Amino acid sequence: MIVAENLVKEFRLAERKPGLAGSLATLFTRKHRIVRAVDGVSFTLPAGSKTAYIGANGAGKSTTIKMLTGIMTPTSGRCLVRGIEPYRHRKDNARGIGVVFGQRSQLWWDLSVPDSFRILHRIYEIPGPVYRRNLALYRELLDIDALGTTPVRQLSLGQRMRAEIAASLLHDPPVVFWDEPTIGLDMVLKDAVRHLVNHVHRELGTTVVLTSHDITDIAAICDSALVVDRGRVVHQGSIRDLLRTADRRSVLFDHRDTTAPERACAGIEQGLPGVSASPAEDGRIRVDYPVDRFTSRQVLAFLLERFDLVDCYAPEPDLEDVLRRIYGGGRPEPVPAEIPCGPAAGGA
Amino acid sequence: MTRALWRHVRLAFFLGGVGLHRLSAYRVDFVLGAGAFLIRVGLQTAVVGLVFRQIPVLGGWSYHEVLFLLGFSLLPRGLDHLFTDQLWELGRKLVQRGEFHRYLIRPVNPLFSLLSERFFHPDALGELAVGTFLVIWSGSSIGLDLTPLQWAVAPLLVLCGALIHTSVKLLFASLSFWTVTSLPSMYAANQVSEFAAYPLDIYHSSLRALLTWVLPFAFTSYVPCVYLLTGAAGLVVWLPVVTAGALALALAVWRRGVNAYEMTGS
Repeated sequence: MIVAENLVKEFRLAERKPGLAGSLATLFTRKHRIVRAVDGVSFTLPAGSKTAYIGANGAGKSTTIKMLTGIMTPTSGRCLVRGIEPYRHRKDNARGIGVVFGQRSQLWWDLSVPDSFRILHRIYEIPGPVYRRNLALYRELLDIDALGTTPVRQLSLGQRMRAEIAASLLHDPPVVFWDEPTIGLDMVLKDAVRHLVNHVHRELGTTVVLTSHDITDIAAICDSALVVDRGRVVHQGSIRDLLRTADRRSVLFDHRDTTAPERACAGIEQGLPGVSASPAEDGRIRVDYPVDRFTSRQVLAFLLERFDLVDCYAPEPDLEDVLRRIYGGGRPEPVPAEIPCGPAAGGA
Repeated sequence: MTRALWRHVRLAFFLGGVGLHRLSAYRVDFVLGAGAFLIRVGLQTAVVGLVFRQIPVLGGWSYHEVLFLLGFSLLPRGLDHLFTDQLWELGRKLVQRGEFHRYLIRPVNPLFSLLSERFFHPDALGELAVGTFLVIWSGSSIGLDLTPLQWAVAPLLVLCGALIHTSVKLLFASLSFWTVTSLPSMYAANQVSEFAAYPLDIYHSSLRALLTWVLPFAFTSYVPCVYLLTGAAGLVVWLPVVTAGALALALAVWRRGVNAYEMTGS
């Protein structure tokens, strides 16, 4: 459904020198620096998948999405969405995709949301029944009527995002690209958006590509993850597989003993070297253990033997931690700061 | 192909309706825009009147002929203004703020999508009304009697003139795809177009050449007016060629610009 083959995007940035003298110098001699935002990325996303496109800031996520939506042309390589190259066939591509850029609006700035929808109805040639069905859905889930006839420019960020999300789905696109779709939304609306996209996916088999800094969005919407670091794909697979790569797991437990929490923790750390234990909220104790040294069975066995457990659970590994490790692991070791080797240093 | 064209025509009518609807939402803006424009043209007419208090003929043109030219120049300008004013936004900020992308993700031609966002700019209606009034008034004062051919050609002259205005505007607005903002150059080109509201005969030959062959604004007013007033063909036969050339060049630059567009930020 969505294919990227050795996708590369480079930007030419003008080097500017600081200060007034610098800007004058820039006027006459322009030096350019080539920045590779996307560095030979290849992947295939099957139809009907819901993929989180994950990467640190500057990893090339947005740039890739801009090529997949036809906004920018790759420097080399190519991508295909529903079998067409988006930047070559923008109109055909646009018909089959829905797009949200959280930071940027694509609605009609000085029109109200209902007016914008009427225009979308026309330009996408949405059949009447589909249009009415979708409006009813947004009314129910996003409370779209509450936006009234206020021009888009006067809406709050949260209100505008609701309209943007609805607009991106109005024509039942087979593929949606959502770049930070839940910024500015409160918890209730975030839930509504997740519910909406899962509903649409269930009914129509929509392929979803999502980028978000909100891990809960990713966990609630997506079933697979594509992790990009410095322009390259470093992991592709299900979210479950991604979480399995965690190198530390945790267990939280509650017990009936009268031992002071500090002493209990110290006891655990002594009995299981390499494990860290700390008091958690509600008098529980949290045990973090490295998976390469202990199995969960070993940890639990130890705890069962030592404590009178009344409650115990193992949360999913923290996606943020997993990602932090993936980004960190791929990077070269930091170069130690250079120590001046002058006569003073040598003499000491 | 024809189906796509029809679709865009139907959409244009629909979006034009939306534009008219918007006028009612911005009544004050409309009144101010049209009012300011009336004052400007009033002053222009007064200046021309003052000049002709001193001299009977200017570069071979009489008072009413100059007013005819002034009025006629407003027609293509107004027609262009009516439909393509969103190009100013492109030159001013759409690339700079990374907002141009929205025209690339809609299933219509990107240029159409851009222009249709602001069909029916209110100032343009003032321009067209004043232009029509000046042309009729000065034409009847001169006792202008057009031949059937001239009557038939006149609307085409206005249309071609409008397309030349659009081409120049599109060309300079498209430069913003590389320079991020191109408002200064758009503004400069627009200032040059003001010269075309007066007889070219009063200018230095270098300016005349500029207005005829570089930024061909002479073809939007002076050249058609010479034809309508004197019946002499002259340069007017070149009008279709100049229009087609200007449009082709502007569209080529636009297309390259769209492909070079780099959306900034996340």
